[in-house]
Amino acid sequence: MYNSSKISIAITCAIALLFSAAALAGPKTSYGLGVTPTKEEIALWDIDVRPDGQGLPIGKGSAIEGEAMYEAKCASCHGSFGEGEGRWPPLAGGENTLKDDRPEKTVGSYWPYASTLWDYINRAMPFPAPKTLTVHEVYAITAYVLYLNDLIEDDYVLTQDNLAQVKMPNQDNFYADDRPDTHNTRCMNNCKKPKDIVIVQSLRGITPEQEEEQEQGAAKVEEKAKPTLSKNALAGEAPYKQSCFVCHGSGIADAPRTGDKNAWASRLKQGTPMLIKHAIEGYIGDAGVMPPKGGNMNLTDEQVTAAVHYMLEQN
Amino acid sequence: MSKNKISGKAYLAELANNVPSNARRNFLKQGVKFSTGLVAAVASNEAISGNSTALDVPSWSKSLGSGVVSTPYGIPSKFEKNVIRRTVPWLTADKISSISMSPIQELKGIITPNGLVFERYHAGSPTVDPEQHRLMIHGLVDNPLMFTMDDLMRFPSESVIHFLECPANGGMEWRGPQMEALQFTHGMVSCCEWTGVRLSTLLDEVGLKSKAKWVLAEGADGAGMSRSIPLDKALDDALIVYAQNGEMLRPEQGYPVRLFNPGWEGNTSVKWLRRLEIGDKPWHHREETSKYTDLMPDGRARRFTYEQEANSVITSPCPENPWGSRGSYQIEGIAWSGRGKIKQVDISLDGGVSWRPTKLKGLVLSKALTRFSLPYSWDGAPALLQSRAIDETGYVQPTLSQLRKVRGTNTIYHKNSIHTWQLLSDGKVKNVQLK
Ligand code: HEC
Ligand code: HEC
Repeated sequence: MYNSSKISIAITCAIALLFSAAALAGPKTSYGLGVTPTKEEIALWDIDVRPDGQGLPIGKGSAIEGEAMYEAKCASCHGSFGEGEGRWPPLAGGENTLKDDRPEKTVGSYWPYASTLWDYINRAMPFPAPKTLTVHEVYAITAYVLYLNDLIEDDYVLTQDNLAQVKMPNQDNFYADDRPDTHNTRCMNNCKKPKDIVIVQSLRGITPEQEEEQEQGAAKVEEKAKPTLSKNALAGEAPYKQSCFVCHGSGIADAPRTGDKNAWASRLKQGTPMLIKHAIEGYIGDAGVMPPKGGNMNLTDEQVTAAVHYMLEQN
Repeated sequence: MSKNKISGKAYLAELANNVPSNARRNFLKQGVKFSTGLVAAVASNEAISGNSTALDVPSWSKSLGSGVVSTPYGIPSKFEKNVIRRTVPWLTADKISSISMSPIQELKGIITPNGLVFERYHAGSPTVDPEQHRLMIHGLVDNPLMFTMDDLMRFPSESVIHFLECPANGGMEWRGPQMEALQFTHGMVSCCEWTGVRLSTLLDEVGLKSKAKWVLAEGADGAGMSRSIPLDKALDDALIVYAQNGEMLRPEQGYPVRLFNPGWEGNTSVKWLRRLEIGDKPWHHREETSKYTDLMPDGRARRFTYEQEANSVITSPCPENPWGSRGSYQIEGIAWSGRGKIKQVDISLDGGVSWRPTKLKGLVLSKALTRFSLPYSWDGAPALLQSRAIDETGYVQPTLSQLRKVRGTNTIYHKNSIHTWQLLSDGKVKNVQLK
């Protein structure tokens, strides 16, 4: 494609020159490029939602319905009460902390609009499998997160018509950019008294070492192992990268790291079928929560099985 | 349904300033182990003349090198291995929604090589097939259109040199200095030549309705990154970019096509761009409410803080580029402003008591990195080095105290204050702040 388009660029450049000269003179240029999408095609892509509710699809859901969905697809990272597991972001709490020395910005304490929550869950969550939730799930889970923040009752049914009416506590506390807000001047001499200067040294011990860490990432491990992969495991590479790497690549959420022999040794004793069962159905172990299919219910059992083989062959 | 009251818990995901104690332990290993081979070699002339082998005819002068296309896509010399992007692992929960910094301490001139441009992903860097990729423009327009990459490349193109900066650049240091490395204090900035179509050209093609005021830009990545852009910017200098520094965009930079808003916070320049919707109001999406808003001391927050205000930093010396022997040096650095050209950069050696003007070097372009330098003969005296940029609007880069006075320490974004390096008499450089 790129060869052909390079040539066409060279040609159109010359033509475009003629065109723009003409454009100066009068009517709008039209390059005649692109196609007109149908209404259906636009609707398929047009997923955004605004504070006034524009863009919401017809649907509904309550926190009561959302609890189990949230528990299965969100709680492993965001915590059962929205408190945030490990380093993952919390989704609730932090009321009245915005003026504190350490403010806690959450959906309840900071977000100005409920529509943003619907829109974001729909476009970006669950993190390992974005855009896989049904409209009903998005309504129900949104309701559940609002409920966790004490913003609606658990039996309140959120719909396309009432979402915009959920008033967020912090809505009125945002204002437009009013910078520049500093007014330094270009002083050249005697700008301050040398004796007033106090030097604050940097915190010790938090600058990353510059050499090893980055190179030892899971990506490296994978590359090394690749040539010896079985056919089964090869098929698992894509689903692994899409839905398992997020936890098993880094060991986040206390997931056993792919390629970390020690972490897997005792697990292997259960036998591969049990590991596969755990990966497909999910389970809670001593280390933490392994969500069913890593939270991506769109994966087939075969894909998850292949992903497990892929993981095991990295050891 | 059971529900507990949630106990307070700091949210670390973006650029919070608190460091988890276990991460601290991991990084207790200190030291400027990464200073470059180059500096070590040039640092002392005595070492070279004292070393007889440097005068011998070297092996590479007595043999043949590798032939053409031994690396069909060229790579840097193996002696430049340390010139790489780096991340700060404790900043984010994982590497998929995370950030890496450009090694600006090693770069020359104003162009950042493509492989070294800083990265910021919210759902990793996707592999987008250009044949399948489409850009749709719809909403308050007369004729919605959908373009292939081939279509986009048939429009008249422009090439411009502009910086790209994450508004969180420097954001780790609102409360105090933390990072003993320029790469980590200022490395979320890069500068490239960007090639693409003016967004205004495409908006002409679709025809704007009279109510049109805002543009929603949306990416094709897992995060579906979305930002509301005022129409004025879209019609002013925004570009739909498909190439950087002469080649197609790198995947990290939005291959095959991204929005580019010159001078504005990096995440408005939505990568892997697949959709532009024209509307009459902003969308207030997650990346312009929960994130990329600036929490002020009174508990209120600024939003749509698009512009990157004038900033500058000294790149030599810096913690990674210490000075060796006494004698001649060039104090050098970079300055940039999202509001236009850099007009002047001043340097102070005494922590801001007195200042001297520097010379701007090479190209001085609007909304682009601009180099400054000052020849300096070092006698081993310790110094508190600072640079202060002034842009063509007359805006003078603020001190940290001035910034903190208005904004407190919890805004995370847009920390563009004058930076201080402490030069010690042994030539080492430390990251400090002045009260
Ligand atoms: C594998 C871990 C993981 C899972 C599972 C997950 N998330 Fe997230 N979530 C994240 C990460 C990481 C971010 C931050 C992403 C970023 O900043 O780019 C996030 C961000 C969010 C945010 C925005 C938080 C803020 O303050 O800006 C919301 C809301 C959210 N997730 C909801 C959900 C919901 C609802 C689900 C279940 C459908 C879910 N998440 C499942 C990891 C996860
Ligand atoms: C949200 C993080 C997360 C994601 C995503 C995730 N895992 Fe896990 N996984 C875990 C955790 C935590 C454990 C350890 C649980 C324990 O034993 O306490 C685990 C354990 C496992 C185990 C070991 C089971 C056992 O019995 O010891 C397998 C196999 C596994 N995961 C496979 C997968 C596969 C395949 C995927 C992708 C389809 C995946 N995981 C995605 C967190 C995750």
